[in-house]
Amino acid sequence: MSNKIILLVEDNPDDEELTIRILKKHHILNDVVVVRDGSEALDYLFGEGKYANRDLNVMPVIVMLDIKLPKVNGLEVLRRIREDKRTKWLPVVILTSSDEERDLIESYKMGANSYVRKPVDFIQFQQAVEQLALYWALLNEVPKGS
Amino acid sequence: MEKQRQILEKQVSERTKDLKVANQELGQQKMSIQKYAEALKQSNEDLESFSYSVSHDLRTPLRSMDGFSQMLLDEYKIKLDKRGIDYLHRISNASQRMSRLIDGLLKLSRFARNEMHISRVNVSDMVRSIAEEYQQFMQKRSVKFVIQDHIIAEGYPSLIRVLLTNLIDNAWKFTSQVSDAEIDFGCQKNEGQTIYYLKDNGVGFDMSYADHLFDVFQRHHDDYEGMGIGLATVKRIVQRHGGRIWAEGKVGEGASFYFILNNEKHVDKNGGK
Repeated sequence: MSNKIILLVEDNPDDEELTIRILKKHHILNDVVVVRDGSEALDYLFGEGKYANRDLNVMPVIVMLDIKLPKVNGLEVLRRIREDKRTKWLPVVILTSSDEERDLIESYKMGANSYVRKPVDFIQFQQAVEQLALYWALLNEVPKGS
Repeated sequence: MEKQRQILEKQVSERTKDLKVANQELGQQKMSIQKYAEALKQSNEDLESFSYSVSHDLRTPLRSMDGFSQMLLDEYKIKLDKRGIDYLHRISNASQRMSRLIDGLLKLSRFARNEMHISRVNVSDMVRSIAEEYQQFMQKRSVKFVIQDHIIAEGYPSLIRVLLTNLIDNAWKFTSQVSDAEIDFGCQKNEGQTIYYLKDNGVGFDMSYADHLFDVFQRHHDDYEGMGIGLATVKRIVQRHGGRIWAEGKVGEGASFYFILNNEKHVDKNGGK
């Protein structure tokens, strides 16, 4: 199980706690790596900065990415992910509070695999996170060694 | 001859002076119009970024409130007494209510931004289909709808639908205590203008509040559900059509809403579909 990592890019500690609790509660046992801003996400994915020693053969099965992030915003992170051949096929789900049409369009233009608006209602949020994790971490497959 | 020439020259030079002044004034006006246009553009951009931040930032803390109170209910319920549980439900309900308010406000602000096309709308059909939806989804209530046929308007169809839905929703809500509830829709002509109306025989309202009925978050009946956004939306939409709306009513004797959509060139009452 250890190499099925979920990368959660989330700057809000409350949302982080809620998301992790939901995953645990539903026995989704993947390792969850939490990074707090866009630049840390890129460091993790490309083995830079404090992640310089990370084994880049192990890529997350899914990146849950917020749009509004400190330093480098989510859409820019997504653009860099798609640009790099190591992460070109990496599944990225935009998980955000924004339901602005232009964020949706931009996300898909940049190659997001999915766009989910974080509901305020916790029950709905719980269902969303659970379904996302189950689908992307268990069911979905991506080409190997692309 | 000489004298005449002098007079003429004088006249010409005076005219030229006048023209110069007029030209300068025009130039100044043009500049101030440009300034206004820039200011308007700026304030529009401000509004957009404001609504963007509302949509994103105001929701986030609400999710924490709802999420953690729900989590307390899930995981610590045994440690709480009835009152404690009730308080948590209140927190959770309040945060969800706030979230609906935000959604409502955002919708309201988006109506103003949307670019759309004006076309002919069969208002009678629209009212009928909205009425049917209400009757289908809320079968506990029986409300009689009286709808005048073949009313055609020119306007933004999706906005007119929202307008009518909000008015009907309002009438539906405030007739809930009446046993023979009735909602009438129709139009009348007055000095070449078409005045549309939607009347109900519900709880009505005090005419001294008539000016504030359409204000945002203004609620007039605490015992009825609502957020105080519906009628504000209606007013915004009517204004978007260059028209106006007003209401008449009496406590206990129903309410009538009247509106004009000014941008219509003409209304063909028998125009059919």
